[in-house]
Amino acid sequence: VARLCVCDLLVAQCDVNCCCDPDCTAADFSLFTTCSVPIVTGDGRLCSQKAAKYSLDVEANPPERVFELIDQVNPSFFCIHSTNYKQALSFSAPEMPTSENFDQLLKQFGSASFSAEPDGWNTNTDAQNPSDANETYRYEYGVPVQTADAFLRLPSPVVSSWCSDANPAGFLVNQATKCTRSVSVEKCGNIQAVSMLFYINSSILAKLLEFVFQVNITVQSVVVQSLNGMRILLNGSDVLRLPMILDEQCINIVLGVSYHITYTDAGEIIEAAASFVLGAINKEALSIQQSFEISFTQVNTQPVPLSGNPGYVVGLPIRVGFRPQGYPFPAEILFAALNTNKYSQLTILQSTSSQDCLAAQGARTPILFGYNMISGCTLRITAAMKCQPLTQTLLDLLKGQNFPEYVASFGNSQAQDVLDWVPITHLHTSEQRIYNTFQSSCQIPVALEIEVKWTKYGSLVNPQARIVNVTATITTTTLKQLPAGRERTIPVTTSVVFTDISSAAEPGYKVWPTINVKLPYDFFFPFV
Amino acid sequence: SQLSSVPLQMLLYINGIYYIFYFLATLAMIIYKSQVFSYPDDFLAPDLASLLIMALLEVLRLHLGSKGNLTEEEAPLGLSLVTTVGSVILSVYFLVWQTYVLRADVILNTLLLCAYGLESVLKVTAIAAFVR
Repeated sequence: VARLCVCDLLVAQCDVNCCCDPDCTAADFSLFTTCSVPIVTGDGRLCSQKAAKYSLDVEANPPERVFELIDQVNPSFFCIHSTNYKQALSFSAPEMPTSENFDQLLKQFGSASFSAEPDGWNTNTDAQNPSDANETYRYEYGVPVQTADAFLRLPSPVVSSWCSDANPAGFLVNQATKCTRSVSVEKCGNIQAVSMLFYINSSILAKLLEFVFQVNITVQSVVVQSLNGMRILLNGSDVLRLPMILDEQCINIVLGVSYHITYTDAGEIIEAAASFVLGAINKEALSIQQSFEISFTQVNTQPVPLSGNPGYVVGLPIRVGFRPQGYPFPAEILFAALNTNKYSQLTILQSTSSQDCLAAQGARTPILFGYNMISGCTLRITAAMKCQPLTQTLLDLLKGQNFPEYVASFGNSQAQDVLDWVPITHLHTSEQRIYNTFQSSCQIPVALEIEVKWTKYGSLVNPQARIVNVTATITTTTLKQLPAGRERTIPVTTSVVFTDISSAAEPGYKVWPTINVKLPYDFFFPFV
Repeated sequence: SQLSSVPLQMLLYINGIYYIFYFLATLAMIIYKSQVFSYPDDFLAPDLASLLIMALLEVLRLHLGSKGNLTEEEAPLGLSLVTTVGSVILSVYFLVWQTYVLRADVILNTLLLCAYGLESVLKVTAIAAFVR
């Protein structure tokens, strides 16, 4: 205890106000004001222990340090008089690894966590591992799709935009890549990567590392693209079209491949199909851009692009649905529009450069979750326009052709779950004041505002976005009769607003633990 | 005349009451030590076992001593003296060889040893009186 000094930080130098520092001389002590460490003791729980007391005697001139080694007595009843257990009151020194105990120490401490009972856990985990080895290999997410010779290739740009053929396609990873390939008409037949054969040559292994079952890649469809960009779907897609030179052009070169792989839920691939886009290059072309795509579909299901799983992902389109004709059905309500059809999205008017509403009919953009949008156009009204057709045109413009009735509450809502779909509420407001409603004038819709209220759902650490309410408000204004020959321009706007109505998270605290002391039923046996 | 030793009987009676207190206090302190200090099971088991054995021995000892004194027979008193030896050993264990010896342990066990010593002297005197 006399040798311990907590404030001795500087080596071979005197620390200020450190009375226990052995590097300090009497002259240094005379300059101190207090002692930062007045007493150094051992474990305070022992009944009697040695203590080193340091103090400054300020009465003397010059001040000097006083050092005493005393026995400090713990007055408590429960102080430790003695122990017969060596490791009781000090931290145990860890074992130094030597060549003999290295393996045992590695087994005990080598994993990510270890407990005070080293042997109990290890035997359990060892017993589980051999059973996994007997399972057949199956594809898991991200594992490269294997073919007979190597991997299913999906050429993609690496570092630069030039195609690299060494990119394997991952199982269940839907990818779309575009890259550039250098070609020339002279080497038309020699470049492998522009020939159809290159992409359907290999056969895919149905299960990982099992060469018994192989799936051939079938050609699903072939689209021929001419030099000016026009695409024609060919009828007979069984014939393999290889690049060949025709009229100083190299035709049948692959511009795009789209793989569709069908898999089962056991991780097996049962079908593979490829759709090609073939094109032609002329003498001046030095490079072409190829695009590749791969998508995975589970067998016996319809491929539906999800907008989130389960909560909506920001940037993905909102999924909508309709009720089929013949409502109401007392038993079930089935929603029809759940396919990859682009028209089953909630869309708003897309602003065009011309800003004329009537000229830009049909241009619509899908509403993406989380992105507030506003768009609009201007409408020129002449005197000759009648009210009713104008109203109808504007409604079509604002709402689009297939304005849906229901919006999916979650990004992966299924058609069968009726409760997962939120009906769209329609509201009408008028721009004019109330006293004008008695006039039998023409009300034309000029604005559509879609307000999507969403909330955070689920756990605090991983909240999922869930749509709770969708309100479509149409604002109408009065169309005053124009004198002949005059024109008027009114703006037509549509906007989408996403509002987060989730309530703030409240922390929940666990109940205080209670002491559960219950005597057994027959504790007082002789007396009860 | 009456040969039974009254001081011995008083001492046995007081010893009984004190031992109940001693047993509860030592048990409570073992529980306290196991919570506050590091008390592995290898060290806890012998301490608890000793306490239990000591309690059984004590009951036997006090009963025999009391019976022998009151019926003025030497045999139970002699047996009681022999069991006292065992109790003394266990008391010394709790005084010196326990895993954690607190100051309270020291006080309790010292008192108990004093009582044992005094009792032994009185028993020897009583046996001598009965034999004569």
